Amino acid sequence: MRFNLGSKLAWAVLASVPAVALAHHSFAVFFDGQKSVTLTGVVTEFKFVNPHGLIVLQVKNKDGVAEEWKVETNSPSILRRRGWAPDSLAAGETVTIEGWPGRNDAHYARLRSAKRANGEPIGKPMGSDD
Amino acid sequence: MNGFRVLCATVVVSLIAGLAVAAGKPAKGPGGHPDLSGFWMQSNKVAPDKTLMDRLPANTVVVPDAGAIELPRGDWGGLKPKPKALADAQKWEPKDDMSLTNACKPPSIIYAMQGPFPLEIYQGTELIVIKLEYFDMMRVVFMDGRKPDATTPDSKVGYSVGHWEGDTLVVETTHLEAGTILNNGLSHSNKARLIERFRVNAEGTELLSTQEFEDPETLDNRGARFIGWKKKTDHVYPYECDPTFALEYQKQQQPPK
Repeated sequence: MRFNLGSKLAWAVLASVPAVALAHHSFAVFFDGQKSVTLTGVVTEFKFVNPHGLIVLQVKNKDGVAEEWKVETNSPSILRRRGWAPDSLAAGETVTIEGWPGRNDAHYARLRSAKRANGEPIGKPMGSDD
Repeated sequence: MNGFRVLCATVVVSLIAGLAVAAGKPAKGPGGHPDLSGFWMQSNKVAPDKTLMDRLPANTVVVPDAGAIELPRGDWGGLKPKPKALADAQKWEPKDDMSLTNACKPPSIIYAMQGPFPLEIYQGTELIVIKLEYFDMMRVVFMDGRKPDATTPDSKVGYSVGHWEGDTLVVETTHLEAGTILNNGLSHSNKARLIERFRVNAEGTELLSTQEFEDPETLDNRGARFIGWKKKTDHVYPYECDPTFALEYQKQQQPPK
């Protein structure tokens, strides 16, 4: 038997890896876990569906032009356990989202955490209790 | 008086349960076997159980991707794909999975059991039911000695028979439909065979498991995972899948190889 995690040290390292991935499609294939992206924008749509939820935002670029970004979330059942609900976001609301960018450089990212304009966290961040 | 009897009985049961934990034995369930029932949340904070890991046979590689961890494209985690399986995995495009047709198709339990989702176990002496949150999958483990027959269909949950070896539930599953192993292109065939072992820690707070899988059509070695869960008070939620989510991926360019 070959056990890649044979030592306690190796196991501790693995256990401390942020829970950046989630099943259904491979996080590692689509998103860059070594990079991060922060987006502040106005919500235009929030889908609370499996296999992944989706937040659509209008985000102003450095020239002040609004661009559409889409932010994929975990499965809704996972989000519920982090304090999210289908009405956690309303269209027209300004939010700031931190996450991981897509590997294809599209305006597409994966949610790690979100907060409202007043700084209030929306649910708990990804990996906080996984 | 009845209240006093109930109180006494409760105290006695609690004392017995406490002694069992103190003696390093988990609480008993149906048939006097360890009690695996309840809601369990997958957790990578559960350390691999030496008792179970020592049971893995030779020529077995432990794939380090249980829970939220996933391997990148081209990383098979030590598994040795046969030439055709390797060629298929290298041709695989993520967009193929994220289509309207495929986005809501469940994987087989070889992949599904290690996902970062909870499950519930309902334990009896003749049947054990494992209800997964992931894709609403429902597994039945036959404990009464019955076997699959010539008409048994393949499915994503397969046909599972189980037995107890001491404090460990051993489950063998066959009749699995082909499905992903790693979620990055490497798939097993319908000839795959899965052996799982489940036990709980002495406190009854952690469910410990290994899965071993072999597939003579796609793999030259045997794969395994350690999967751990923590007991919590919660429920499995319904997994209602909306395939239109896949449209987001069909609009995008493919990620670079």
